[in-house]
Amino acid sequence: MMKTNQENNEVIMKLDRRAFIKSAAASSAIATAAAIFPGISFAEWKKQEGASGMITWKKAPCRFCGTGCGVLIGVSGDRAVAVKGDPNCSVNKGLCCVKGYHSVQALYGKDRLTKAKVRRNGEMVEVPIKEALDIIAAKMKDTMAKHGKDSVAMYGSGQWTIPDGYVASKLFKGCLGTNNLEANARLCMSSAVTGFMTSFGIDEPMGCYEDIDYANVFVTWGNNMAEMHPVLFSRMLANRKRRNNVEIIDFATRTTRTSQAADRSILFRPQTDLAVANAICYEIIHNNWVNWDFLNTHVSFHKGKTDIGYGTEDHFAFTDKEEPINFEEYKKFLEDYTPEKVEKISGVSARDIKYMASLYGDPTKKVTSFWCMGMNQHTRGTWIQNLVYNIHLLTGKISTPGNSPFSLTGQPSACGTVREVGTLTHALPHGGVANEHDREMAAKIWDVPVSNIDPKPTYHTVEMFRALDRGDIKFMWIQVTNPMVTMPNLNRYRQGALKDDRFIVVSEVYPTPTTDVADVILPAAMWVEQEGMFGNSERRTQHFAQIVPPPGEAMSDTWQLIEVARRLGFEKQFPWSEEEHIGKIWEEYRRFHEGPKHNMAPYTVLLERPGVMWPFVDGKETRWRFNPKHDPACTNGKDFDFYGKADNKAWIWARPYEPAAESPDAEYNFWLNTGRVIEHFHTGSMTRRVPVLHQAMPSSYVELNPEDAAGLGVINGEMVKIISRRGSVTMPASINGRGVPPRGMVFVPFFDESYLINEVTLDAFCPISKQPDYKKCAVRLEKA
Amino acid sequence: MPIFSYLVIPKAGAIDTLHAELTALPWCEIIPADNKEIVILVTDTPDAATEKKLQERLKELDSLQSMSMTFGHNDEDQPGKQRGDYEA
Amino acid sequence: MKKAADKIGKRTLALAALCLLGVGGLDLAMAAPDIPHTFDAGGEKIFRSYNATPQEYMAADSGNRNLMGFYELRQYPGSPPRIPHAVAQSFSEQPDNCLSCHAKGGYNAELDRFVPVTPHPENELCTQCHVPQRQEGLFVETNWQSINPPKLGRSFLAGSPPPIPHSLQLRENCIPCHTGPAAVTEIRVEHSSRGNCRQCHVPVISTDPRLEFVRKQ
Repeated sequence: MMKTNQENNEVIMKLDRRAFIKSAAASSAIATAAAIFPGISFAEWKKQEGASGMITWKKAPCRFCGTGCGVLIGVSGDRAVAVKGDPNCSVNKGLCCVKGYHSVQALYGKDRLTKAKVRRNGEMVEVPIKEALDIIAAKMKDTMAKHGKDSVAMYGSGQWTIPDGYVASKLFKGCLGTNNLEANARLCMSSAVTGFMTSFGIDEPMGCYEDIDYANVFVTWGNNMAEMHPVLFSRMLANRKRRNNVEIIDFATRTTRTSQAADRSILFRPQTDLAVANAICYEIIHNNWVNWDFLNTHVSFHKGKTDIGYGTEDHFAFTDKEEPINFEEYKKFLEDYTPEKVEKISGVSARDIKYMASLYGDPTKKVTSFWCMGMNQHTRGTWIQNLVYNIHLLTGKISTPGNSPFSLTGQPSACGTVREVGTLTHALPHGGVANEHDREMAAKIWDVPVSNIDPKPTYHTVEMFRALDRGDIKFMWIQVTNPMVTMPNLNRYRQGALKDDRFIVVSEVYPTPTTDVADVILPAAMWVEQEGMFGNSERRTQHFAQIVPPPGEAMSDTWQLIEVARRLGFEKQFPWSEEEHIGKIWEEYRRFHEGPKHNMAPYTVLLERPGVMWPFVDGKETRWRFNPKHDPACTNGKDFDFYGKADNKAWIWARPYEPAAESPDAEYNFWLNTGRVIEHFHTGSMTRRVPVLHQAMPSSYVELNPEDAAGLGVINGEMVKIISRRGSVTMPASINGRGVPPRGMVFVPFFDESYLINEVTLDAFCPISKQPDYKKCAVRLEKA
Repeated sequence: MPIFSYLVIPKAGAIDTLHAELTALPWCEIIPADNKEIVILVTDTPDAATEKKLQERLKELDSLQSMSMTFGHNDEDQPGKQRGDYEA
Repeated sequence: MKKAADKIGKRTLALAALCLLGVGGLDLAMAAPDIPHTFDAGGEKIFRSYNATPQEYMAADSGNRNLMGFYELRQYPGSPPRIPHAVAQSFSEQPDNCLSCHAKGGYNAELDRFVPVTPHPENELCTQCHVPQRQEGLFVETNWQSINPPKLGRSFLAGSPPPIPHSLQLRENCIPCHTGPAAVTEIRVEHSSRGNCRQCHVPVISTDPRLEFVRKQ
């Protein structure tokens, strides 16, 4: 029976009151004990010290994944003590996942970094933070003088706040004049960006989470949403239960919790999603399920280069060349992808391919496709995005409620900071460095000479770490990310970072394998210890105030950058006061996005709401882009306007199936697939310090198919050595655990720094997006 | 709904047993001291009958030397408070 | 007091109508061949029974069972409970007989209560583990002692979702015990509308030793 809100509030008030009385009871006992036994100490009591027992609630977006749930943080005294879902936030409507509910505990790990440290004679020595900032500025100046401006680099993150990324871009691209600025989102969603850019000419999803409430069919493409985007997934489940006309198809390489919940679990061999997507298009055309009105008006056809390589060698370069084709040529291209032919490549039965095609092709069904790392971390990542868009474009199932090809992100501000601010080597807050008009706009807003901005991109992430290894880069500043756990082919890049004349600065909140290689460690403010904004997967910008103070000398990444910029002589470009800088930075940044295609909400609006979607035009958010009923940027007078491309059309691409960079062979006979689990975010440096999450998932493991385990003679928990051409790691086996890989594949979660699986993975990447493939390389196994 | 707190002193050598026994009891929370063999016990029971039962069980603990109350609160004693408010 | 009883009586009647609904069967997904359904602690059952059980049934509450009664039937936390009701001598002990009530739940007029649903209906030899009590009294008095059951409200933060304190073995499906009119009142959830229970509740077994993480450099 539902309780009314009032009743609920009464219950909560009673509970608050009881908690308060209990806290008073304990305090009184402690006071008595202290009077009787001088010097008595109660360590456990410290968790409540300074807390009044009363809680006030402040809004913020969750710290972890790209879903962008609204949370309310309970504050008592100057400490965050509780979390609840924000009922006013349309993303999650008051529900969080286990990470979100315990997120504030990540602020209070005992080994929090609170003082700056500098390496002196091989030892890390504590210094005042001002001294550390002096050292960083001097080192940057010195390195640039000796080795040129492109010898210094910054490596940031999709967990940067928007102001963090914005000041980094302004300092490096605008003031220092180097394009050596990258972010870990390159490892996470750059294929999504190139997918959007090649198919639509403008980045980020056309739809929004509300699509979940309208769709009849959900297809999860290599996407274990039940664990990685659980709040969106349970919204799907609730819809399926409520509406009776909803089905969920899990299309993946491994059986997971999402497969358990799905109506149908269809497995494909790694990399062959390319072939299956083409086969679905073949079927749609073959059965004449094409939406001809839509196709004729809104779609044009294109092809690009093939046999495009894998980027495993240094200095690898690739530029795609687009050629227009016509529908007949596209149709002919698809003849290699009949369901029967693709069954042989993919292991997916022709029956299942036809079944999937029939769901997309059924004009009475609204279809939403979801994907994330499975399609992004893919040596043909850009292509597979193009191919899934093809399916939606052939059937016209796009940009309307429930019809949505939806690219999810993994980090809280991969979209907001990295994609929108453009903290990648080729990008600017608006457009790219190669474009003269974009450089002029940036120079004007940044108040720097336009000649400062180098028109040539330098290094994407993998190449940047190679350049560090080679010595082309001598200085690197790393913020909010842990590359010494996450870089593929990790051994090479760790050894590179440790070389003698390399200087590594790491801004962090906890000791990690990356702080282990640092020459300077800056203690960073974390999440709500600073003011900032994140941008989630559905174009939603979410502001949070500083809710609790940072510990010790910890300082926000934004302010660290401003301090260094001023020491380098850029006071004019970084003039803001500490009190006002976030609002001022936001209003300056917003100028880059003026216009109906990307207008951002003003600062004052962000303060009030639990997130605002862009384009924000005339006080209204845009839920479905390219659809004139919802999107004020549409001007062509038709039922859709794909205004990202010059021909006002969405592009269908003929992209073939090409094999993975490294496939199992006689010697290395297993696929290695890596990923996450629900309890831990990324490298676990935060979530492993949350008691409930660590206790629920204390260490990593290698998942084996039960028959492979039997063949190897290992049972659950026994140690298995995983060996690739690059390295090896020995870890416990998990059989019929959280997920089950098919025969011939193993899966390893990468959160555990005690088992560095990325010493085994391969640094091959998509030649277009330069995003590495963490899902496919060849390994062999030994019982250890 | 009574809430009480006590200083609890174990019998010699029985501090660990006392911890275990108190932790296992319903309605009880403990805060052990780090450097003295003393435990703070906070009890929070829903009604008088449960409270009585709990007190009896506390008295039966072999590991317990003595208990002294440091705080007591009972909503039912509050003037003007309606009985049965918290029966929901 | 009488008024309260009336209220419960009415509620029971209203709930009785729900007996036709009951917990849904466990049609397993058309999963890939060769993949055992038992992986991930058999959690597939949560999704299946969530999807198949009408929301009205999950949300219903009879107050028939409480935790004290629940543990009364068990020798230690996690032991198979005794059968608390009479079982006719003629009872064939065939699984159909138990499962006709305990697979689906619903209202039993004879006992005037809602039937608890088993979380593991695929184990059909019920009497392998569950036995009725045929007489009172012991053969010899026992010194048996057990540990106390997991405490309630073991959230890590005020208001945060409590972890799952018990092992999932044979109790992998949350829906039967924690939702519906036969749920144990103290552990019944008020928020059964979303079916991904493990999104918020993760197992932290109260009796398991805690592992400490130590960084090595």
